[in-house]
Amino acid sequence: MSDDYYWGIDLGSSAIKVVLITSKGEIINKSKGKTLFPLIKQVRNLLNSSDFPESPFSEPASDTDEQIKINHFIASTGYGRNHIPFTHNKLTEIKAHFLGIQFLYKNESDFSLIDIGGQDSKIIKIKDHQILDFVINRKCAAGTGAFLDEICHRLDIRLKDLPSLATKHDKKLNLGSYCTVFAVQEMIKILVSGEKIENLAHALYTSITKRVLEITSIESGKVIFSGGVMQHHPILLNYFNDNLSEHELFLAKDAQFSGAFGAALSLT
Amino acid sequence: MDMKEVMKNHFLSLDEASRNPDRKVAWCTSVGPAEILRAMDFEVYFPENHGALLGATRTTEKTIPLADSRGYSQDICSYLRSDIGAYLQGFTPLERAYGIKSVPKPDVLVYCTNQCKDVMHWFEFFSRQYQAPIFGIHPPTNLPEIQQSHIRDVTDQYKELILFLEEITHSKIKPDRLAQAVKLSKEATDLWADVLGLCRNSPSPFDFFDATISMGPIVVLRGTEIAKDFYQKLYSEITAQIARQGSDNQERFRLYWDGMPVWGRLRSLSGLFDNHHASIVASTYCNSWIFSDFNPEKPLESMALAYLKIFINRNDHYKEEYILNIIEEFNIDGVVFHNAKTCPNNTNIHYNLPNRLRSKGIKSVVIDGDLNDLRCFSDEQSANRIEAFLEILE
Repeated sequence: MSDDYYWGIDLGSSAIKVVLITSKGEIINKSKGKTLFPLIKQVRNLLNSSDFPESPFSEPASDTDEQIKINHFIASTGYGRNHIPFTHNKLTEIKAHFLGIQFLYKNESDFSLIDIGGQDSKIIKIKDHQILDFVINRKCAAGTGAFLDEICHRLDIRLKDLPSLATKHDKKLNLGSYCTVFAVQEMIKILVSGEKIENLAHALYTSITKRVLEITSIESGKVIFSGGVMQHHPILLNYFNDNLSEHELFLAKDAQFSGAFGAALSLT
Repeated sequence: MDMKEVMKNHFLSLDEASRNPDRKVAWCTSVGPAEILRAMDFEVYFPENHGALLGATRTTEKTIPLADSRGYSQDICSYLRSDIGAYLQGFTPLERAYGIKSVPKPDVLVYCTNQCKDVMHWFEFFSRQYQAPIFGIHPPTNLPEIQQSHIRDVTDQYKELILFLEEITHSKIKPDRLAQAVKLSKEATDLWADVLGLCRNSPSPFDFFDATISMGPIVVLRGTEIAKDFYQKLYSEITAQIARQGSDNQERFRLYWDGMPVWGRLRSLSGLFDNHHASIVASTYCNSWIFSDFNPEKPLESMALAYLKIFINRNDHYKEEYILNIIEEFNIDGVVFHNAKTCPNNTNIHYNLPNRLRSKGIKSVVIDGDLNDLRCFSDEQSANRIEAFLEILE
């Protein structure tokens, strides 16, 4: 008898993440790709990739008639979750991230979960191993990955260079606006005045931290971070530490995959 | 008469009155003193109803920016901006629906600020445009409880209104006509309350979205036999429907909606909740046309009390208690708060009400949007929040 495979697909605004697990929640492998369109084609390419021991499709996949092998189960989350026709379960990122993180931190019953994603940030409050409440940022992209993307694009610096730039800052600047567009204007004004790019990088991380923490108050206790922005900018943990000194902060392993992992767990 | 026929006749009658020099048209706010106007033989037109029509027909895409461009801030009432923009554009959805080319010209405009002061600015615009006389009722607002002094205040303002109208019409108000209008309003509103009360059943026979479609007559035809007859028939039909229903109950969640409808998204939101077998069984909005205090023996005083007492005119403590009572009465699992950007008076999240309810064990979600300005509404964000909320309720 063949093993069962549980796939979690997180269709985010910037990246599609896929995690394959066993019925016990052990990760077999994971993969990711850019969110490109048509979405279904990109997802199919990821599921068929050599990153995984076998494809979930029993027939050559077509756009309209995917046949899923009997021992494969698929769940989707993220903004694109409703656009994949061959799933056995669909769930929001709120629940998916909660399931993924709760599995990793089994002994934690009460904590706050902060997921900073490509286009939104969420603070999820967990009590007695259940989601008590959640708050998502409002309409503006400030405090999300899109904010970092936009600013780096305007400043013509590589996103991956941002952490090392920020560590070299020698002045603390403040970006006051809660709007990405206004923040860009502020940065340009600061740059025109001859300010160092390293100080701007620091200001950028300070800004994103503030915007996330403005979403709601976080009771003291443990705070666990998930999502792609934290995985790629772990330096942010220092900035959060400065603002949450009464809390214990943790960055989840493979934080970008927490949602996909949680989606897969929803099937087991 | 069915709903379509009732509303069609209402607008055709207004259109005829607008063109007939022997008949008079009064514009009135949706929870304004319509009974006084009926008693003085006015045909009564409600611009807020027209605002809702503009929203529901998703025709505000052009009208709102037009009003914005004339200096009306994007932060103020989108009913007002939809309606003023429609006027500036020479547009009304009544043309497509009933062949009526424009809204009826007012002989007088009467507003009451028991909901907000935007209605004053709205009516003043049209008073200037049509060169028509205008009268405003300014009741005390944000009331914890209704005092006799409040009732006297508003009753006195009604008396001034009557003198004002008598001067315009050159005729005296007939007390028996006023009593009759109040009696008919009372009968209609009691029936509307009975209809909404049927949602105590599980599964609920209809939901908030259905109710917003059925509430036209209680808004625009208070004080008439037509409204009374309509809700009598509706009540009978729904009662019969409940009797026919089997025991198959797929209702998983019973919810409360606080705030304005998102008029341009009624269908998609209704579908979203239906897909999850979630039913919005009660709402602040639909309940706002329940006026239990009308009393034909004390027409003016009882109107003052009824129109002072409305939810939107009360303080936050009252609103919290009100929602808690409905939650218990209708066996509700959670609350959906609509944060309507341009309608702060009809939005109850601003002073921490969701958290206060949460401390009493009531779960809720907030969706950002607006009644008519769909630029303030994101389908994806709203659906995501609602679905995540339903996952929590599971």
